[in-house]
Amino acid sequence: MFIITQLITQLCANIIFSQALGTSTIIIAARNKKNLAFAACTIMLFTTAGSSLAYFADKVISSENQNWLMLCYVSIIALLYVCALTLLWLINKNIFNKAKLYIHISAFNCAVAGSMLMAHNKAVGMHIFYNYFKSGLEAGIGFLLASLILTAAYKNLNSSKVPASFRGFPAMLVYIGIISMALYALK
Amino acid sequence: MLINKAKKERFVWLDITITLAALQLMAYFYYGLHTVVTAFACVAFSFVCEYISVRLSNKKFTADNLTCVSDGLIISLMMPAGIDYKIPVMACIFANVVGKNIFGGRKNIIFSPAAVGYLFALTSWKDKLNMYPLPFARIGIREQAKELAVSASYTFNTTGKLSLSDYDILLGNFCGGVGTVSILLLLISAVILLFRRDISLGAFVGAVAGNVFMSVVCPVTSDISDTLKYVFTTNMTLFATIFIISDIRTTPHKSYYSFYYGLFTALISYALLLTTGIENLSVIIAVLLTPLALALKKLEDKIKYLKSTETIVETVKQNNELSEEIAADISVENDDISEIASDAIKEINEISGNNVSAVSFEAAQIGEGDISENA
Amino acid sequence: MKMHNFSPVDGLLRDNTVLSAGMVISPIIICGNNLQNAVALIYAFSIITLFSVALASFVPQKLPYAAKIIAYAIISSAIFIPVKILTEQIYPQCSESIGIYFPLLAVNSLIVYQTEVRFFKMRKLKMISSLVFYILGFDFVILLVGFIRELLAYGTIYNHVVNMDSIISGIGAPFGGFILLGLLCGIFRKLRTIASSGNDSDSEVK
Repeated sequence: MFIITQLITQLCANIIFSQALGTSTIIIAARNKKNLAFAACTIMLFTTAGSSLAYFADKVISSENQNWLMLCYVSIIALLYVCALTLLWLINKNIFNKAKLYIHISAFNCAVAGSMLMAHNKAVGMHIFYNYFKSGLEAGIGFLLASLILTAAYKNLNSSKVPASFRGFPAMLVYIGIISMALYALK
Repeated sequence: MLINKAKKERFVWLDITITLAALQLMAYFYYGLHTVVTAFACVAFSFVCEYISVRLSNKKFTADNLTCVSDGLIISLMMPAGIDYKIPVMACIFANVVGKNIFGGRKNIIFSPAAVGYLFALTSWKDKLNMYPLPFARIGIREQAKELAVSASYTFNTTGKLSLSDYDILLGNFCGGVGTVSILLLLISAVILLFRRDISLGAFVGAVAGNVFMSVVCPVTSDISDTLKYVFTTNMTLFATIFIISDIRTTPHKSYYSFYYGLFTALISYALLLTTGIENLSVIIAVLLTPLALALKKLEDKIKYLKSTETIVETVKQNNELSEEIAADISVENDDISEIASDAIKEINEISGNNVSAVSFEAAQIGEGDISENA
Repeated sequence: MKMHNFSPVDGLLRDNTVLSAGMVISPIIICGNNLQNAVALIYAFSIITLFSVALASFVPQKLPYAAKIIAYAIISSAIFIPVKILTEQIYPQCSESIGIYFPLLAVNSLIVYQTEVRFFKMRKLKMISSLVFYILGFDFVILLVGFIRELLAYGTIYNHVVNMDSIISGIGAPFGGFILLGLLCGIFRKLRTIASSGNDSDSEVK
């Protein structure tokens, strides 16, 4: 019972279905089924690590200098992006060569930056590292869930039976919209 | 075969429409002409939307496209009596255009169109959809319901208590969607549709099993039988189980797979009913779990494909083994023949001691000839 | 987005940022439910994107790909700082109405991806004119979506009450944004196909 309720709560607060954060990214990644799974996993890592690092940034930046927050967050994402590239290069150069053209899509997007900003907004006056980490992980899992939901219908949304003008990206938006509507009805 | 399939699709639609018409008749008996006009409006707009959509996508409008009529009827039966006509009409337009034809129409149905239409109405006009007139409040064509009350589902979800007699429950003498409360008729419809194989048996059994399991494990009321009774009769559970969850267009084809879709829908609906108390959760969860149904369908197709490839591989293996056996038999036969030939040579050698080489050469030639013939 | 036959006006209609390429969708879906938010988004997006891409064009093209992407993102988030300060002075309700989607415009896909793929392959003057049309394309879509959603969901136009028979509140919710945008994309594609087939037949006649 607890698991079911938690799952639905997670879905209701999903960054794609309720906040539309990272919709463009999921649509770009969904052009290839393999890319979608790869992007979702990478974004989950980026949101978790990014939100965790946002904790330290928030500690450093005072409330008077909030205008610098976005620059600071983008710098954190850039750092994570470089780390991810270096790690891939060390693990396997073939994977690095394939991934280097796509990994920036998983790093610089609204899902990662948005999850950091959401963690920042949630932690007003209460800077606890765990909350930042949890918020980032939840956002990442939400993105992963959304990509799983999209993968399930991938074949149907790109089928030749779908009218040419709606095939792919428009049908995907409507599909996400209907799932989002069902979640909205639960609120 | 194809003709049978096409016929079957039409008969499914016809059977479902007949059962829905019976529910509509009951709704007329309880609430008057307003429900009939609502149903006609829903059917008419669904038909027009389907026709325009089909024509716009340069396809032929056939009798199979008439499934839109049953979708329209399902939407009208889920509405409260005396509702503003615009709401069910807009729900029907949305169901047909957004829920169905954008994804390619009846050949590529992802969501149950009726469920999508109902959800659209629920999210846009929540207050109007969750207030119901009392039974026998006969509402005229141009009238709107005057006295509205919360549904029996709301009372059950929030208080966990409901005092309805079995007779009232069976005949649908309580507040709710016009066609979703006639429990006796719904039970008869379920039996007919199951026997005629018009709805998915697996999904139906799964949904029923899920609700029974949850009612036994964590009952809403102190009495399990009461919980069972009210869980199935309120919140459109039975209606949604028959016409939405068990819709053969959206569920996996094999009962084994569709069972899980029905089961999970029921389990999640029940769990959320206990924790949130939201009304008509079965319809919402049925839409939300559509990706699960799609994934199960995909799994079903994959297993089917793997099975077919396995049989092909097995047949090829068997053929290879058979050909190997034949080849082995031939070589054994050849060995036997060469043995006979050598024995004959020996015998000839023994008989005619001097002309050995010439005779043995001839015998060898005869032996080779036999071998080639056998091969 | 098509990679050949670049025309500066493509961004307005043929290769529209939102309808054709599916970029910068999230602010439209969440904030684009009324004209007031739409105007705020137009203001923020136009300034941030225009200055970011213009400045980013000075980043040496010989740098490694990863370094260039980082540079573009950092430039746009640096541009965001003066824009935000300026906005608080002249348009205070902008930050309030679009919330976290205001800073998120600094990492929008037009700046991070399209700069490298499209804009920096052009000459500076052509790039600026093309960029302006891409921005106008976004502005047009957000205005259209904001207008439709405000009218249908709240029965108002720029906060002025309109005599509407019935209101569909769902259109104002995020799911309404997804579905409306999906429908608009489909209609846009259909119109584009019709227009391109018309052009083909015209050229054949000629």
